[in-house]
Amino acid sequence: MVGDKVKNRDKFPPVSDGKSQYDLYSGKYLKVWQGPQHPGITGNMSLELVTSGDQVVEARTHVGYLHRGFEKLMERRKYIQCFPLVCRICVPEPDFNEHLFAECTEELAGITVPERAQWLRALTLEMARLTSFLMWIGGQAGSFGMGTLGQWTVTMRDYMLDLFEELSGGRIYHMYIIPGGVRSDIPEGYFSRVEETLQKVEHVLDDIELALFHNAVFKKRAKGLGIIDPSLVDLYGITGPNARASGISRDVRKDSSYLIYDQLDFQPVTDVGGDAYARTWVRFQEMYQSIDLIRQMMHRMPESGPFFTKLPNVLHWKIPAGQTYKRAECTRGEYGFFMVSDGSEYPRRVAVRGPSYTHAVTLMERLAVGANIADVAGLMVSLHTYPPEIER
Amino acid sequence: MSIKDIIAPFSVWKRAFEKPYTSKRPIDERPGAARYRGFHINDMATCIGCGTCEEICQNAAIDMVPVSKTKHGDSGLRPMIDYGRCCWCALCVDICPSGSLGMSNEYIWVDSDPEVFRFIPGQDNKSWNDSSLGYRRAEGYDLLEGERVAMPMLSFEESQKSFIEMVQGYSEEQAKREADRCVACGICIATCPAHMKVPDYIEAIREGDMEEGLRIVYQANPLPASCGRVCSHACEYVCAVKHKGEALSIRWLKRYIIDQIYKNDYQKILDEIPEENGRHIAVIGSGPGGLSAAYYLRLLGYAVTVYDANEKAGGMLRYGIPEYRLPYEQVDKDIIYIEGLGVTIEQDTRIGVDLPLTDLYKKHDAIFFSTGLTDPYGLNIAGEDLKGVMSGLGMLDDVTQGKTPEIGSSVVVIGGGNVAMDAARTSRRYEADVTILYRRREADMPADEEEVEEAQGEGCQLITQAIPLRLEKGDKTRLRLYWGRAEMVPDGEGRRPKPVLVEGSEELIECDTVIPAIGQAADYSFIPEELLSSIEFTRGYVKVNEFYQTGDKKIFAGGDIANSKRDAISAIANGHSAAKGIDIYLKNFKEEVSRD
Amino acid sequence: MRTQLQQVSTRFSITLIDELAPERDDLLFVQVEKDQAVPFLTWLQELAGYTHLVFFTAVDFIEEGYFQLTYMVHDYSTHQDLAVLLKLDREDPVVESIHHLWPHAATYQQEMYEMYGIEFPGSPRLHDDFVLEGWDDLPPMRRDFDTRQYSEDTYFPRGGRKSRDTAEYMKEQLYPGEAETW
Repeated sequence: MVGDKVKNRDKFPPVSDGKSQYDLYSGKYLKVWQGPQHPGITGNMSLELVTSGDQVVEARTHVGYLHRGFEKLMERRKYIQCFPLVCRICVPEPDFNEHLFAECTEELAGITVPERAQWLRALTLEMARLTSFLMWIGGQAGSFGMGTLGQWTVTMRDYMLDLFEELSGGRIYHMYIIPGGVRSDIPEGYFSRVEETLQKVEHVLDDIELALFHNAVFKKRAKGLGIIDPSLVDLYGITGPNARASGISRDVRKDSSYLIYDQLDFQPVTDVGGDAYARTWVRFQEMYQSIDLIRQMMHRMPESGPFFTKLPNVLHWKIPAGQTYKRAECTRGEYGFFMVSDGSEYPRRVAVRGPSYTHAVTLMERLAVGANIADVAGLMVSLHTYPPEIER
Repeated sequence: MSIKDIIAPFSVWKRAFEKPYTSKRPIDERPGAARYRGFHINDMATCIGCGTCEEICQNAAIDMVPVSKTKHGDSGLRPMIDYGRCCWCALCVDICPSGSLGMSNEYIWVDSDPEVFRFIPGQDNKSWNDSSLGYRRAEGYDLLEGERVAMPMLSFEESQKSFIEMVQGYSEEQAKREADRCVACGICIATCPAHMKVPDYIEAIREGDMEEGLRIVYQANPLPASCGRVCSHACEYVCAVKHKGEALSIRWLKRYIIDQIYKNDYQKILDEIPEENGRHIAVIGSGPGGLSAAYYLRLLGYAVTVYDANEKAGGMLRYGIPEYRLPYEQVDKDIIYIEGLGVTIEQDTRIGVDLPLTDLYKKHDAIFFSTGLTDPYGLNIAGEDLKGVMSGLGMLDDVTQGKTPEIGSSVVVIGGGNVAMDAARTSRRYEADVTILYRRREADMPADEEEVEEAQGEGCQLITQAIPLRLEKGDKTRLRLYWGRAEMVPDGEGRRPKPVLVEGSEELIECDTVIPAIGQAADYSFIPEELLSSIEFTRGYVKVNEFYQTGDKKIFAGGDIANSKRDAISAIANGHSAAKGIDIYLKNFKEEVSRD
Repeated sequence: MRTQLQQVSTRFSITLIDELAPERDDLLFVQVEKDQAVPFLTWLQELAGYTHLVFFTAVDFIEEGYFQLTYMVHDYSTHQDLAVLLKLDREDPVVESIHHLWPHAATYQQEMYEMYGIEFPGSPRLHDDFVLEGWDDLPPMRRDFDTRQYSEDTYFPRGGRKSRDTAEYMKEQLYPGEAETW
């Protein structure tokens, strides 16, 4: 597949039957593996690049380095036993898995969740988004040679993880959102500590704006890199900031509002550049948006109330046969769970729709063509992909 | 691009002077958060070894291993956690019925030996064992239901007016909801004298498979319609869910299964009965022990004749328990099925009077007797033979036979067992004012908790620590009962305190009837001398071996005369064991015996 | 949307399945015949506004002998989801590819070939390894692939572990000689 705005088209090998017919022995092409161990790769995956000079002429995404078979494992586990499993599907942002798994289960079982639980869920989801963005922006800066920024943001992420630890007892895998509600209410004085951390994060973000977005190097390299034409968005299943940076104003939180998002004030962040710079900028603005939403939630959340609704005995909980799909807006786009129940104690099928599935494979393979090999890492990170959700 | 884009990045150099977030181990300590899901802790004294943690663990990280001695309601097993598999999700903590499992906020544990990371929390000496911080199940979040599904019952105002069954039974929805609370740990199986497979039949209820439920129940109990109503339910006292509040209504769930099946359908559902094998067993007494033995003997292929002194079969189930607790048609339901299998029941045949035991001894390959405790104890006080004193059992017997007991308008029942409660509540149904005198404390009463509660609910007045002194003929009423207050005096280590009369205390109740119900003794007069000599007795009980065989190899015994629990379910268990004992004896030792 | 679908129901021989999501007004399930799947999806994408292929996956109903293919499509203008279900015979798991409608469907198809053994003739790189490099066993997401058996055959469980069943253990300890144990 050949990119749209590619110069030196004659460099590219002929394509037949969906495959490039390049001849490595011609000396014209060089095959380079970027990953699975490579600082420019987001997680355990690899890119098989064919280059001509320093220009990429073909890219292939390879996954399979961390396949844990969660979807298969869930076939043998009772619904409650899937709960500790699902968070592992996406490591830096596990809460969306917990939330969607819980929502699907609740819908099929016909359970309504108390209001306070919904607020607490939304709060953790938004905190998870901020945490995930903090991790990503470090990678984004790092991939363009600014490793220091990553150190600041990872520190901030750690402060966020402290908050999660205090709330749920776990730093990475929070296992907080459980079918039926959440596992505990917030501790005493929690909001003041959240506010304290948010201010620290804001302070760092201000510095990042100076160091990254007003940085000549970043501007020069990220602008024009990996442009996503708006017409590609639907064709390639592009969602989230990747679509919004191409001027498509879509946000699941707004469009198919879940939990209590319809009670909050916010507008989807968009940009029109469609390139790596625009995507970075959109996500950067969404971090401020997340901070704002967390504050709104802390103000509007009902003071108290039940946070869990009684479930049938989870040891032999049978869920009526049915199928459902639920989605949420995670940092990378539309995250979804498709759950099929056959009426037994075990889910028949839980299929996870991770946004990286389309972004990191088909889209990346397309965008990389024509890019400079040095920019591939930056391009990859600008799509914000997490491999664990590709291979569940 | 502007000059700002060159300069701006440098402005953040100031961050170089900020305090780093890293901590310097081992100088800095960083304890886990108060809710941190760290290493496990387990309160060994609270843990009951039910294995629910093992059941919920999705990583198969938990093994139940023997640690302490198996006790009443405690399997003696404790969870051993393999930290090579554990994912610290804390579901084991959330589900733990006894609340013994928790997590500390400790998270650093370094060792060069990988084997040590499989450990028994609470047993192994760990620095975090006493940690008060760490993950615990939060208030307001619970995976198990501690509250019982309320049983529809007649109100006390209604119930004391008639002999209509007070407990009305669960509906399907209620039974399923109640059955859903079970964690299927199986501690109840060990505690049930008959070792019924309780979790299995509860599962059958959840599945809505009543036929399977009936089959499971009949494996260990051929009198379930009666047991489902009046069993002393030892199982419920050890139920793992009881630690969360109320135990499962195991007894009523069993009753639910039986109530769903029409008695004529039993034959289709239960095992086919084998042809008779030519050997013949006599069973004396048609109480729970006798009927149970008869049923299982018949299942093993023997021809069985039951000899019973009363007009109808059932023993104490029919004559000792009033109808509002156990309707006679339910006793019939159990018995009709057993009779349908080809068990002959000879009513109105008192062995030793109508038929000598030696005849049976000669005619049959083996004899099982379960004649129960029939002779009520007397009060041993002055005036006991006055008119108006009648035994609890005698009164219940009369009521069963359709006679109206002459109790007058005020009754004093003496005793704290189930017979006392039955006599008291039956008296209420004849519109008498009832007072119950019991010599120990309420907590010491041997009657089922709900019996005591319901007796009081129906208006029986309970006086505890009261010792009857003497009876006199009254003027306004038939009798005057003098009684004295008792105080509880410790009676040595491990024994319950005994009531001792407070010197000089004396109070008076004027009443028409006094019903002593303080226990019964067995009557062995039907056993002739030549057989009696080989049967051993200890303190009124028949001594039997593990096969329920007496000193005479052909004679087996069970029920109240052979066990100290003295309840229906123990008698049923005895009957079952004796049936198997007889089978083993006849198959393996008979030849030997006949050569003697 | 419902009326629009009803209008074309004979044209594409589709059936609405209301009982699957009775509570949801933003999610519809519709059953399609194998030969009508691609025409129907093309119509959905080009004319009915369902431009977004959310995901495409299979569910193994081994007892009934079919794979349920699920094409989940989304209409951004109405925020409606439509799940197009297709029953595919397990014995003959071949179905038309939709990569020409949505290029990223090729990845889903590649994965489904690997995990379920479903063939999508013409789909690019269909037979290339996706996740499972060098896999030669049964496609693992099929229900008849036994993960436990596989793991027992392939890996070495850690020795020295032994668990006791509560009821069995109590029986051993408390009443080994009683009738039930004979």
